[in-house]
Amino acid sequence: MAFAIEFFLRRISQGLVIVLLVAFVIFTLLRIVPGDPMRIILGPMASQTTLEETAKELGLRDPMLIQFGRFVGEVATGDLGRSYIRGVQGGSTGGSQDADGFDPESRASVAGLIANALPYSLMLAGLGIAFALLVAVPIGIAAGLNAGRWPDKIGLYTSSLFVSLPNIWVGVVLIFLLSAKTGWLPAIGYRGFEYTIIPAIVLAVELSPVMIRAISVSVAQNLGETFYSVGLVRGISRRDMIGKHVLRNAAVPLMNLFGAQMIGMLLGGLFVVEYIFSYPGIGMLTINAVFQRDFPIIQAVAILASAALVIINMLVDFASTLIDRRLKF
Amino acid sequence: MKTNRRNFLAGATAVGAGSMVMPGLTFGKAFAQETGTLVFAAAGTVTSSWDPTSHTVAPQITAEGLVFGHLTNCPMKPENPGEILPDLALEWSVIDTYTLEYKLREGVTFHNGEPFTAADVKATMEYACQPDRPASAWYPGQVEVEVIDDYTVHLKTEKFGYPALNFWYVVAFLPILSAKDVADPEALKRRPNGTGPFRYEETNGDQITFKAFEGYYGGKPEIEAVVWAYVPDANTRVLGLLNGQYHLTERLEPEQYQSLSGEAGIVTDRSLSSENKYLHFRCNKPPFDDERVRRAVVHAIDREQVLAVVGEAGQASDCHISPVKFGYTDVENYPKYDPALTQQLLAEAGYPNGQGLPEIEYITSVGFYPKTREYGELITAMLQEQGFPVTLTTLEPAAWEERLYRRADGQGPGHIIDVGWITGSPEPDLVLRPNYHSDFALINGIADDEIDAALDKERNASSTDERLKVLQEETLPLLAAKVPSISLFSSVFLRAMSKNLEGVYFYPNGPIDLSKARLT
Repeated sequence: MAFAIEFFLRRISQGLVIVLLVAFVIFTLLRIVPGDPMRIILGPMASQTTLEETAKELGLRDPMLIQFGRFVGEVATGDLGRSYIRGVQGGSTGGSQDADGFDPESRASVAGLIANALPYSLMLAGLGIAFALLVAVPIGIAAGLNAGRWPDKIGLYTSSLFVSLPNIWVGVVLIFLLSAKTGWLPAIGYRGFEYTIIPAIVLAVELSPVMIRAISVSVAQNLGETFYSVGLVRGISRRDMIGKHVLRNAAVPLMNLFGAQMIGMLLGGLFVVEYIFSYPGIGMLTINAVFQRDFPIIQAVAILASAALVIINMLVDFASTLIDRRLKF
Repeated sequence: MKTNRRNFLAGATAVGAGSMVMPGLTFGKAFAQETGTLVFAAAGTVTSSWDPTSHTVAPQITAEGLVFGHLTNCPMKPENPGEILPDLALEWSVIDTYTLEYKLREGVTFHNGEPFTAADVKATMEYACQPDRPASAWYPGQVEVEVIDDYTVHLKTEKFGYPALNFWYVVAFLPILSAKDVADPEALKRRPNGTGPFRYEETNGDQITFKAFEGYYGGKPEIEAVVWAYVPDANTRVLGLLNGQYHLTERLEPEQYQSLSGEAGIVTDRSLSSENKYLHFRCNKPPFDDERVRRAVVHAIDREQVLAVVGEAGQASDCHISPVKFGYTDVENYPKYDPALTQQLLAEAGYPNGQGLPEIEYITSVGFYPKTREYGELITAMLQEQGFPVTLTTLEPAAWEERLYRRADGQGPGHIIDVGWITGSPEPDLVLRPNYHSDFALINGIADDEIDAALDKERNASSTDERLKVLQEETLPLLAAKVPSISLFSSVFLRAMSKNLEGVYFYPNGPIDLSKARLT
């Protein structure tokens, strides 16, 4: 118990520093790159005076550190702010507004926008991981158990093929084949669960190569360990050794992989996949926000993404220590 | 069960076969749209205010085209750009230099059931022309509307010192609101309430639904509902059209247009727009404060090659306004490709072979207009060949827009700026005054007394015939001679739709007339 408390206290404090650093980098970069959001908020016809006045009201002309301090203070109280661009009904806009300036009340709250989009992304991510596991677990285990033989080669070829396919291309080809040509599945937007299937397949194609390699390497390594041959010599069946010992031991690196790599890949993959499929999740929300210089949304998503990574890594490390007590994180 | 090779293969095959067969059984064509609902995959979307006077955003103007009526209707066909058809007004005439009369259609109602009368025209125009309304940019100036009776109005401009004739074409582009809404700005922002064929139903995220209006004076449209789906990615729009989720899409890339042209079940549409594509010179700083350097640049650009790069998305035109605008003509002295003249002008300006010219930055966007990067590289190479020290800066639309207009100090970044200018009326001043009159010169910053005088002269003409003459013989040739900007070509809009959609009319500035359309 004491171990768990010490573990979580240490990791949470480290995590907070990481999230704060990520937030600061994103916050600064947004304000350095070309593209003043005021032009997009107020439109091309707004006068320079209105632009400057509104920018000052929004605090966009204060020194960077003051802006960041104010932002962190608001986030700490749970206020992620309001979108610069999106209206209260969630629709995004292309531009100009009344000459009397920006009315924050007419804009959607960032927390609300994220709360609406998140379930879609979680569903897509969940289905993507499920499809990836469905492919990677059998192929990876078979490859690991038969190192150097044909199942191993299938694993290698499958993962090499999948890793070489850009997800944008896979997305477009699958929409074309499974939706446009055959009419089997809908593909664009979201009006029901079936709209998640093709995007999830694209995610799975991206995720499965890493899984296949990790599972096969891990299983093969465990088969080479002394405990495996000793177990067989002591009369434990191969099936029991694999089922009860090899796979359990192989799970630790797989979990680490899940925390360290998969979640990052998944987040990146979601952005691209949701954009191609016009899927109304966090990725689509963020990409549009980047195009429209909608700072509050970009910042909030960056913070949530880094917090999610930190938390998942923390949980994975904790779970790993439960599986293998020798590990210390 | 023991896992062996045979079991594994059998299981894997079953999973594979299942994944191939299941969807066909479960979801086959489950995503087809409801009958009578048209889904439009739009490249842009609306602002958070439905008040048409609050913005100048092209996609919202297209959306408003479904909902609002106008006094008149200009189809803007290249063969007859000045054609005016009735909409909410049935007759119009010039009373005197400062007065136009409109006789209004009777029996028209707004979507909320209120009857349309002269009071609505008065409230709308006197509100929308106020200089603090962003869309007052479409108005030639402030205007007074006199209500003669319930169905007759006079537009009066004498108090504001310009001829009323300036409204002749513009009224076809000015949406008419309800007087009650004008008195309640919050209602105006919240939902659109017009007299058009479709009424606003709801917004759900990036989808807006419009329903056929039973009380439309032209008869209830056959299409029951229009769903405006904002789909930012061009490939996704095309794939959605191919799989039947969308019925209509816009802003195709030339390659997409060509490949869709051969697709069964899809009809493509290629129509000349009211947009020209320009290169603006920042005329209020060196080296383009010297007219000779501007002329040297335009004679170094072979526009035929540019057009070859743009392909289906462009059409040749030798004029600073589009062929669908009133006053368009192939201007006789429009700059032609002539490298020898470029060298002569450079030498006269004191920059022989380009020596001594400062670094010139050419700013363009990528991802909004077709082929801007490609022809930007071509033009850069052409200019470099003549000795201009040009560098091309390619920006994504948000960053480009931020650099497009002049700033508080009158200066704008860079030296040559690529931009299109699109407006929804044959009225040429919607292009000419904001761009070339020294009171505005939003991008190029030109301040030239002769150009100002020529623009004022055509604006103040007392008849359309006289105005046409001034435009074609004085104003447009003067712009071609002084080139504060060069119009490279006129844009062509490329769209595609399901072959089941019939009876659609596309206006050259984007709006779509679906009042007579049907889905078979």
